[in-house]
Amino acid sequence: MLNDAKARAIAIQGVLIIALVGFTALLFTTTVANLEARGIPIGFDFLTMPSRLVISESILSYGSRDPYYWAIIVGIGNTILISALVIIFSSIIGLILGITRLSSNPLASGTCKVWIEIARNTPPIVLLIFLYSLWWKILPPIGQAINLAPGVYVSMRGLVMPAVDASLQSIGWGLAGIAGLFIGARLVRKFFRRIQWVAIIALLGAAVIGFWAAKASINVDWPVFTGFSFRGGIGLTPELSTILVGLTIYTSGFVAEIVRGGVLAIGKGQWDAGRSLGLSHARILRLIVIPQTLRIILPPLNSQYINVVKNSTLAIAVGYPDFLAVMNTTISKSSHSIEGLFIILGVYLALNLTLSALANWYNLRIAIVER
Amino acid sequence: MKSLSAELVGRPIVPAISSGAFTGKVRRTVKLLFGTPLNAILTLVFGAALFAVVPPMFRWFVLDAVLFDPDPNACRAASGACWSFIYAKSGQLLFGIYPFDERWRPALVCVLIIALLAWSVRPASWTPRLLQLWIAALALVGWLMGGGLGLATVPTSSWGGLPVTLILTVVAIGVAFPIGVLLALARRSTTMPAMRIIAVAFIEGIRGLPLLSILFVASIMLPLFLPDYLLPDKFVRALVALTLFASAYLAEVIRGGLQAVPSGQYEAAEALGLSFWRTQRLVILPQAIRVAIPALANTIIVMIKNTSLVLVVGLFDLISSGKAALADPAWPSPAAETFLFIGAIFFALSFSFARFSDFLERRGHISQ
Repeated sequence: MLNDAKARAIAIQGVLIIALVGFTALLFTTTVANLEARGIPIGFDFLTMPSRLVISESILSYGSRDPYYWAIIVGIGNTILISALVIIFSSIIGLILGITRLSSNPLASGTCKVWIEIARNTPPIVLLIFLYSLWWKILPPIGQAINLAPGVYVSMRGLVMPAVDASLQSIGWGLAGIAGLFIGARLVRKFFRRIQWVAIIALLGAAVIGFWAAKASINVDWPVFTGFSFRGGIGLTPELSTILVGLTIYTSGFVAEIVRGGVLAIGKGQWDAGRSLGLSHARILRLIVIPQTLRIILPPLNSQYINVVKNSTLAIAVGYPDFLAVMNTTISKSSHSIEGLFIILGVYLALNLTLSALANWYNLRIAIVER
Repeated sequence: MKSLSAELVGRPIVPAISSGAFTGKVRRTVKLLFGTPLNAILTLVFGAALFAVVPPMFRWFVLDAVLFDPDPNACRAASGACWSFIYAKSGQLLFGIYPFDERWRPALVCVLIIALLAWSVRPASWTPRLLQLWIAALALVGWLMGGGLGLATVPTSSWGGLPVTLILTVVAIGVAFPIGVLLALARRSTTMPAMRIIAVAFIEGIRGLPLLSILFVASIMLPLFLPDYLLPDKFVRALVALTLFASAYLAEVIRGGLQAVPSGQYEAAEALGLSFWRTQRLVILPQAIRVAIPALANTIIVMIKNTSLVLVVGLFDLISSGKAALADPAWPSPAAETFLFIGAIFFALSFSFARFSDFLERRGHISQ
């Protein structure tokens, strides 16, 4: 019997399953007993009760009378805000760093190399705490705020910049307009191949006139210093700015290395082949090199983006209320730890799967179609 | 974009340096810096940025800084960095709240672990003896830190600083590695579907969650889930959380390596009559792990940095001891300097491991 591979496999798996079921049963009975001893019922009813949590800042509006489920959604909103901004900023900076790192200019590539190594080899939480302590040290009090650009001020109390005061309706129209422009450009490319440039210019002209006409309804709200604080504009608190800057620095180092690897992986022969076809440099880059680089760097980039979502939990180190921080206070206030655990699991799974699905969809679009 | 691509491709990335005269070198450097319009612009932009950043930083770091003066008021008067704080508080920064008279013990532990790490990077010392050496060393570390057998007992709640960071890193990765191998084998198993499903659920579940949430579960919710007689103390709970987290990531990396081993190798081992475990140990895993070295090294570097997260669940690692040292009202609270110091320690650990992995990768290329 011991020598029969099949019987042995079944026996091993049986023992494993029994051990797992036993352990789960132990966890379950202990938890139920502990919860009963404390008089906490299991269930998601608590989500509709008023939360009375303190959420210091959020992109969605929150009041302490709002129920738990809204507090959690506000936390998710904050997590998505940080993740989205960090992904955008670090992609741009990482791309620039990665390409400059390949430059033949020793000054430029050396500086980028030092930046990338420091960014990649410092724990992000140390980076965040360091930047947060620096924020108070080097920035002036609000009275002497530094004017970075017209309407952009930075001081100890955070960053303020002009806000585009647009109603929900005008944002909707704007999005519809952009979508229309894309669809129009596609149709033009499909049906007016011969004169597509003329058609696209006409379309763009119409769009510019449309936006110009709509401009009257868009209000730019400039921040004004009133003696104690800035009025108007939108502000970034020191906490949010620290997270954005810190995580962007950290992630940009990784993005830069991915971009560098992707460009180096394109063989010189691809350039030679393009040149022998008589293509110009710009066309070789656009038609041959960039599509292949994208295909190489997309999978590692996507796992970096998922890491950004996970790293956004570090916001807790500087006291910014992201989703995990909100869940943490929710659990300690309501004592519904099991339900809380399931919500945490579900939300991060959903966020990561969404990002993966987006990347896979894009990956399919740019993949080589083999016959 | 056009000239940039020309620059990327048209030129060798590492300029060939011939054994020319000094003037030739200067001319070549000038040509590299200002040869093309794009390079000239890059030189000007980066030169201006460095000129704006480096001199003030140097002034803050060195010229205006207080280096060794043990008087806190010297720091208040100076406009530069306050390194004397780091110097005066080094014991507290490195060893946290460990009892003052016993500080030689964590110091010895740090020296022991770092020396053994340095010893382990030599290819000549990669023998089965090394594993025994590590196990013996870790037992010694446990005794030195915890006490007993003639030493005063120190509970884990008083451990702190650099030894905590080092122990968490070494033990978490060391224990996670065999677990990761087992998980990877289980996930690839064709004869044991139940094993495979459990491995997949564990790996994907852990990888879908941020480490912080796993640490929270281990430190805050576990007391609710586990009966008291099974509940380890806080330090061990965080260590277990880190280990499980690392094992899921290592399992995926090792699985990638296993996939790269051609099936002919399995068939050859079977033809030799090797058992499953001997096939894995003698034939498959050595090849799989060699393929996976770059990815393994990346995962380990991430884990070195991840140990800094235990701060959030109240373990006394380097960052917490830095924060505690900063709370001393006698000093002007030089936070930036302290966190630079702590960041430098982490950087040294992680950067040297990255160089070690480069070395392994090159070595692998040469031997093949």
